[in-house]
This record gives sequence, C-alpha cells and structure tokens, in this order.
Amino acid sequence: MITYELTEQQKQIKELTHWFAENEIRPISLEADRLGKVPDEWLDKVNKMGIQLNTSSFGGDNANKKLAKKERQGNRLGVIATEEIAWGDPAIALSLPGAGLGGPPIQSSGTAEQKQRFLSIFTKDEPRWGAYALTEPEAGSDASAVQTTAQKVDGGYVLNGQKIFITNGGRASWVVVFATLDKSLGRAGQRAFVVEKGMKGFSCTKLVKKMGLRANETAELLFEDCFIPDENLLGGEELYQTAASKPSGFQVAMKTFDSTRPIVAAMAIGIARAAYEYSIDLVRKEYPKIGRLYTIAAELLAEAEQNIAAARYLTWEAAWKADIGVANAKEAAMSKAFAGQMALEVCVKCLEILGPIGLDGHLVEKLYRDVKVFDIFEGTNQIQHLVIARRQYAPYGVRV
Amino acid sequence: MTSFLPTDEEKEFIHVAKDIAIDKIRPVAREVEKNQVVDAFLVGELDELGFLALETPENWEGIELPLITQVQILQALSYGDLGVIQGLPGLGDAATLFRLCPDHPLLATYKDDIIHSKKTVALLDLTGNATVTIENKNDGWLINGITQPVRLASFADYIVVLGRDLDGLPLVMWVEVAEQQNLKVEFGDYRLGLLASGLGKYEFENVYVAEELILASDEEALQLIEKIRPRVQLLQAAKEVGLMEAALDYATEYTAGRKAFGQEIAKFQGVSFRIADMAMETRIANHLVWQAALEVDEDKASAGGSVIRALYRAHRSVRYVTDSAVQLLGGHGYVQEYPVEKWMRDAQAQVSLYGREKELLIQRGEQLIGGGTIGVNVR
Repeated sequence: MITYELTEQQKQIKELTHWFAENEIRPISLEADRLGKVPDEWLDKVNKMGIQLNTSSFGGDNANKKLAKKERQGNRLGVIATEEIAWGDPAIALSLPGAGLGGPPIQSSGTAEQKQRFLSIFTKDEPRWGAYALTEPEAGSDASAVQTTAQKVDGGYVLNGQKIFITNGGRASWVVVFATLDKSLGRAGQRAFVVEKGMKGFSCTKLVKKMGLRANETAELLFEDCFIPDENLLGGEELYQTAASKPSGFQVAMKTFDSTRPIVAAMAIGIARAAYEYSIDLVRKEYPKIGRLYTIAAELLAEAEQNIAAARYLTWEAAWKADIGVANAKEAAMSKAFAGQMALEVCVKCLEILGPIGLDGHLVEKLYRDVKVFDIFEGTNQIQHLVIARRQYAPYGVRV
Repeated sequence: MTSFLPTDEEKEFIHVAKDIAIDKIRPVAREVEKNQVVDAFLVGELDELGFLALETPENWEGIELPLITQVQILQALSYGDLGVIQGLPGLGDAATLFRLCPDHPLLATYKDDIIHSKKTVALLDLTGNATVTIENKNDGWLINGITQPVRLASFADYIVVLGRDLDGLPLVMWVEVAEQQNLKVEFGDYRLGLLASGLGKYEFENVYVAEELILASDEEALQLIEKIRPRVQLLQAAKEVGLMEAALDYATEYTAGRKAFGQEIAKFQGVSFRIADMAMETRIANHLVWQAALEVDEDKASAGGSVIRALYRAHRSVRYVTDSAVQLLGGHGYVQEYPVEKWMRDAQAQVSLYGREKELLIQRGEQLIGGGTIGVNVR
C-alpha cells in the first residue's frame, strides 16, 4: 500500500539523529566553517558515541539475505537519518567518520574477505574514514574517460594518475579508486581498486579551498607507480571474468551513484530545511503581520516548504525502490537533480527573506555556500537529466 | 513504513481504468470536444464500471472508495483525456456532499430521481464570490447575482450551493433547477478548453431557497464546507496528474521517433532534458497528491494545507508539462491532428476553474507562518 508515514523505528531514528544534529552538530557549525575543519576532539567524541556516516546500506548485495522475508529498510533509514544530520551541518555530516561514499562499492562489489577487511575498521577506538575516487582533472561527468592507469604486474597492479575533489581523501584509511587497464577498451577496461593509506606511491598532494563545505576535507590524490596487490582489486578477478562482456569497473562506479545519490539528495533536503526553518522563525518573530512584505514572505516560504516536501518524497521513493530490490537509477537521479537545485533555490529565497542582515553571521549564507555543490558532485544536475532521459527513452529503443 | 506500491485492489482498478482511457476515451476526445458533450454510450460504459461513482456512498449505489484509491483511478482515467472526464454527468464534484451526508433526509427525498434517472448535480461554491448575494428573507434565502463559470452547470438538474448569507451565516443549500423560474444558465462563449464539461454561469434573480432546502447551516455548514472543499480540490488535482502523464508519454514517444538533422530529436539534450523535467514535475505532483489524499483519508489536521499544496503544484505542473509537450512537438504540437494542443488548452481551463495559483500559494504560506495545521478557511 502507499504510505508516507514513518514507522515507529523510523521515527525513533529521525528523532535520535535530529537530537544529535541539534545538540552536537549545529552548535559548532559556524565555528567549523571558520576553522575550515571539524575539531579533532569532536570527531573523536562522536566516534566513541558510535556516530558514523554510513551510506553502505545501499547496493543490494547478499549481506541482507537473512532479512529476505522481512522487507529491508536500510535505504529509507539512511535517507531519513542523513536529512537530519545535514540539517545540523552538511560539512560536518560529510566529515563524520565511516566508510562514507566508499562504502557502497565495497558493499555491492567487494568479496566477502574485502568487506570484512575494509568495512570492519570503523570501530570506536579511533575515527577512520573511507573515500571514493573517480573524478580526475580530465574526467568529471564523463566517468568513462578515466585516465588513471592500472598496469597488471606479478601479484598485483601498478597505478599511475591523479584524482581530484575527493571527499575525506587525505584522511581516509582506504580509497576506492577507479583506473583503466586499457584506455582503448573504454568502460570495459575499467577496474576498481582499494588503495590503502601508506601504500608506496600514494599521496595526498593538496587540500582544496572551496566556496562552502569548508569544514569538510576535499583532497587531490596522486598515484605514482603505486603497487596494489591483487587482493585489493575490488571484487577480485572473478568479478570481471564472470562479467567478461560487461564494463564491470564502470558499472561498479555507476551502481554506486544509483546508491549514493539519494543520500546526497537527502543532505540537500536537510540543508534546505535548515534554511527554511531558520527563515520562517525569523518571519514569525520579526516580520510585520500584514502588508506586502508579509505576503511576499508567505509566498516564498510556501514555495520552499512545498519543494522540500517534493524532494523528500522523490528521495524516499528512490530509497524504497532500492530497499525492495528494484532498479532505481531513474528515481535516484530524479531525487538528486531536483533536490540539488531545489535546495539552492530555497536558500536563495531565504536570503531574500533575510535581506541584507542575512550577510552578517547568519546561518543561511553559509548554507547557501554549502549547498551549491550538491547540484554538482555525485553527478551534476545535467548528468542527472541525462540519466533520467535515458530511462525515459529506453522503452522506445533510443539511447540519448 | 514509507511505501509507494498500490494495493492489489488498486492495481486492478488502475488497470481497467487505464485500458478504457486508452481504448475508449482518447479515441473519441476530439469528437467529444466538437460535440461539446460526452457520448452517451461511453458514459454508460463508464457508469457500468462504477467510474462515475468512486466518491459516491454505497447507499447511493456508489463505490465509496478511499481518496488514495480514487486519486489513482482518476489519474488513470484522465490519462485518456481530461476534457472527456470533466464532461461526465452524475454527481460530479457534489458527490462529496453525498459521501459526507449519505443519510441526509432532504437528499433522501431525491434519491430515486438521482440514482435511477441518472440526474446530474453541480457544485457551486460561492464563498469568496462577491458577485452573488444570499440574503435571509421570510424563513428562507434569496439568491441574486451571476456566478463565475461552473462545471456541469449547463446540464445539471440540481445544484449544491456553498456560501454565506449577508449576515455571515454559512449555508449549504439544495436547489432544484427545474423548480426555479428565476434561475437561468448563461451558456457563454467558451473556446479555451474543457468544452464538453458543461461550463455555464448561473444567473440568480431573486431565487428563493426555502428553509427546508437548507442542507446545513451555521457551524454544521462550516464544517461540511471545510470537508467538501479539500476532497473536491484533491480529486481535481489527481485528474491533472493523469493529464500530465499522458502529455509526458506522448511527447516522449513522439520525440523518440521524430528525426531532424539526421537523428532522433530525443538525442538533442534540449529535447531530452525537457522530457526529464516533465518526468520530474509529473512525479512530484503525483507524490503531493497521494500524500494529501492519505492525510484526508486519515482526517489529519494538516490535511487542508497539504491539499492546497498539492493543488497548487498540480496546477503549476500541468501547465508546464502540457506546454512542454506542445513545444516538443513543434508545429505539430500546435495543430489539431495531434492531441497535445487540446491538452494544453484543457489544462489551462482546468487551472482557471479550480483555484488561482497565487492565492493558493499565499494561503498556504500564511498557514505555515501562522504555525497552524488548519483546514480550508471559508471566507
């Protein structure tokens, strides 16, 4: 049946994460932005509390076979919780310890041994991160044009190349890196590797400064004759042999996007909601109760509230499809495309409501700077449109 | 748990409705528009399947479905053609009154006539209409003035009037058209869309409504109106979603087949991205309608606001999606050999009939700022 109601468990998760966002994240939000980092002691504290950014419930692997009889809800819980955490602060949300965006490819494509080895390190003793490295200086939206090479050698592979815009890339214990065995093979030549911190030839060359999300680390990574043992080829040789006719490495990358886009959409929704709630509170307290300004505010806020709800329902639908094991690429792209753009527009509306006062020490200007990238990373708005259009035209046999 | 899967029963309904929409409704849409009336055979067929009585209570020989089921069925039917659906006779928007007052003694006296003679009832909402007055006179009320265009007015046998008298008393009134010599219908000059929907303006000239024809008054009337309006608004919004789905599918198929500059025009991103936007808007309007329907079914305090939100978005989206369909078909979209020009006209007429967009938006915003979860105000 159709329902938009949260279960008791979902409500509890929402309330718990909201409490954490409100009491632990929001109070340090502006300070973390000013510092350009999340304080280490804070990260250590929340890690001991067991709070992590976990996006790896997506992926549809076999890990949940035990739950086959019971409907999975990890994806829905993921987007519900993520919205609340991002409401607290998106840069801090992205900085939370955990496998992060590197989790889904390992969860969906890794061998049992790899899952155990890489996903079990996120313990309470100290904060650790995972990362996902696809983008390169010459390969952004066109992920099939990856230039980083992987040369097969005895016992493993040698990686050479550069990755940019990698969230938590410098501090990560391991990074899922996409490279090509043979550029002439295109997508079919791609493979995914797990590169561990400290491996010879692997380095973080730069932490970039950004418009927003300043508290979150964005790294450039370099691979110089970096040897990766066979056991770190994601999924092992078997994965690629069994799917010899398919571009498996590329598929791993794309499948990850189908999984993580709803999470990113949920973050954008959290940001939009934070800006909306901040602004409606100000209108209630400080605006005149009649007149043109009041009417304008009513209109702007109604638009904002509606778009936030619309984005949330698209995101829930994408997560629901993932939970019930149905292809969700179109819905995931819809959620990301709409939420990313919507969240910026909501922040713009909220800045309009605040007027010039919004420039000085108010949360909304920070959210405005933060939110822009949500229409860019994990696939730009234009790429999401392409994904949606491809699915829309698929029944007619036209590939756009 | 959040879920978007219709029940098996709903799937059955949707399947039948969609089939009839494609096989029976769409093929006759142009003819219906030209004749400005829905063919009696088609009406009979839809009636037999129960599609004219989704909202009607069981003791009025209706199906009395939950709103969440109704909106899905109406979406499916309107996928055929909104203009045809809006021209269907019967209880129309007034069905909700019967749903909410199934055992009303006044309505009971008309039961045989309405059910067996297949009479049509129009719903006239005069709240906020300054051009028509209701004045208390001699144990009854006098209605004067000319209404705005009302759907089904040109062939309705009865009218349910919602409004307030000059003293501010909320009223729900029953008017039998044939019994009122001073009541006329101005048929008008409608060209934009929904041409088979029986649009007409009522001209009231000292039309007397006796006390015994008052279905509800005062607080009872207020509560009734507050329950009728959101249901009507939502059912209309659902029809708009069905029209959007039709326009989206039609434009997708057309652009997948149409070639220019040596390739399918779908391969140009100016085209395919517009299709993607249409798909998103359609899905969004769909979600907001479903979510509001569930809230109304559950009688939630927030339902009124959710309905306004859904109707506003459906209005905005149906204009965008139908306009986009015309745009993507280019010159073909503008001519009557293709259905999309009609759909764009019907969409705009529908939006004009069922609530001004800005007013809905501001009303919703005021609710949000006020922090209330109120229903729909009767002004």
